[in-house]
Amino acid sequence: MTAARPFTATMDDALDHLRLTQWLSPAFPIGGFAYSQGLEQAITDGAVSDAASLRDWVLSVLTHGSGRMDAILLAHARAPETDIDALADLARAYAGSAERAQEMADQGRAFGQTIAAMTGVAQPPLPYAVAVGHATRALAIQTPQVLALFLQGLAGQLIAAAVKFVPLGQTTGQQVLADLGPALLAQAETCATEPLCALGSACFGAELAQMQHETLDVRIFRS
Amino acid sequence: MYATHPLPMMQRSHGHAMARFGMARIERGEAGQRLLDLRQSGCAKAFMPHHRRDPSEVIFLNTAGGLTDQDRLHYELTLGDGVCVTATTQTAERAYASRGLAAEARVTARVGAGGRLDWLPQETILFENSNLHRDTRIDLEPGARCLLVESVVLGRHAMRERLTDARLLDQRLVTCAGRPIWADSVRLGPEGLARMASPALLGDARAFAVIALLGAGAEDALGPLRQVLDEPGTRAAASGWDGKCVARVLAHDGWPLKRQIARILRVLRTAPLPRVWQLQGV
Repeated sequence: MTAARPFTATMDDALDHLRLTQWLSPAFPIGGFAYSQGLEQAITDGAVSDAASLRDWVLSVLTHGSGRMDAILLAHARAPETDIDALADLARAYAGSAERAQEMADQGRAFGQTIAAMTGVAQPPLPYAVAVGHATRALAIQTPQVLALFLQGLAGQLIAAAVKFVPLGQTTGQQVLADLGPALLAQAETCATEPLCALGSACFGAELAQMQHETLDVRIFRS
Repeated sequence: MYATHPLPMMQRSHGHAMARFGMARIERGEAGQRLLDLRQSGCAKAFMPHHRRDPSEVIFLNTAGGLTDQDRLHYELTLGDGVCVTATTQTAERAYASRGLAAEARVTARVGAGGRLDWLPQETILFENSNLHRDTRIDLEPGARCLLVESVVLGRHAMRERLTDARLLDQRLVTCAGRPIWADSVRLGPEGLARMASPALLGDARAFAVIALLGAGAEDALGPLRQVLDEPGTRAAASGWDGKCVARVLAHDGWPLKRQIARILRVLRTAPLPRVWQLQGV
């Protein structure tokens, strides 16, 4: 129990939790609302058209696609012994398309600039997941918790895109996100300890959709 | 993890084949590219069908006929500065049922400054209960380029096989001057196979491929490439950025997949496809 710990330590921990929640909230200015990672294409194709197909798509991305990849990269970026530049190179090399590469770079830059402005500590330009891992090194929070919030943020970003574009009701979107909770936690727990050689995807359809999105006639989202 | 039917105990197969190419003086003092070294051991073979006429194509072969648990197969290529080589495999690679332990296949290549490697292996067919770990690593010197293809078919079409328990970890990493420039890894297991019908995974497709051209200016190929992505029975798309041009293809089966890949390769290469691809008339 935390009752046995000095008050200041407890307060520092609580502050770290507040910071993490703030950094990973949809209001944090990284422009998350502008990206769909190919989901806009899947909606246009009719592959995602209701709550059930949305849940299936997001769960697939989290457990077999870019969500899982980013979570593993983030976990490694948190480790103090990690060579952050080498990890950033690897993350960029794994970008599956031009828009995905742009998304990782833009969100990472915006995230780093905002953190630097608030903390006064300069942040190197890093792909988003790596930037989050690097910035959260200083927080006294276990990696599975960071990953759970990060993955919930990604799921929320995709669901918000679908709510806007399918369209679906706001409550339906929130219900889908809530239903994904147990899967998010399980994924966060697993990805916290995966080695880099476990990086890999089975989301061929989502990766294809990301590429197809580049030539979509009318686009709301940047990816 | 275990095969449904008991398997006879088989000897593990090991193989390593390597070929090294470089620029050398040939008759009349002209410099040209030549095979400098060719070594093979175990079940791995490397040969050059038109060696004298065309020292730029090498074919690898796994004489064991497939890969199962704890097999080890390594194909290796070294290209000196300015050397251009196309390497392929004689037949499709088969990942057979295993008792759970992974077969390990490695492909390693170094490409010298200004050189180009086209690594165009034929498809890999995954059988039920197979377990394959493949690691493809290509190191480019500055100014070198490479073209890679990897295609995978899930199960034997004629058998109407639906995979439920197969494992594949298929990792590709290309570096330039020691830094990663392109990475692509497929990670499949029983959980993924159970979700395969999801449109984010394979939907109704059973075969997939990635084709990547890497090196300065590669993205210039994107426009022409997009003109050929309409093979019936496939879905394909491409993207180009930062010295990369990458295409992905999903297909119902290995044959339309191969036809689409062949059309893509014709855009990304000036030389014809290796004859072992057996696609004359496509």
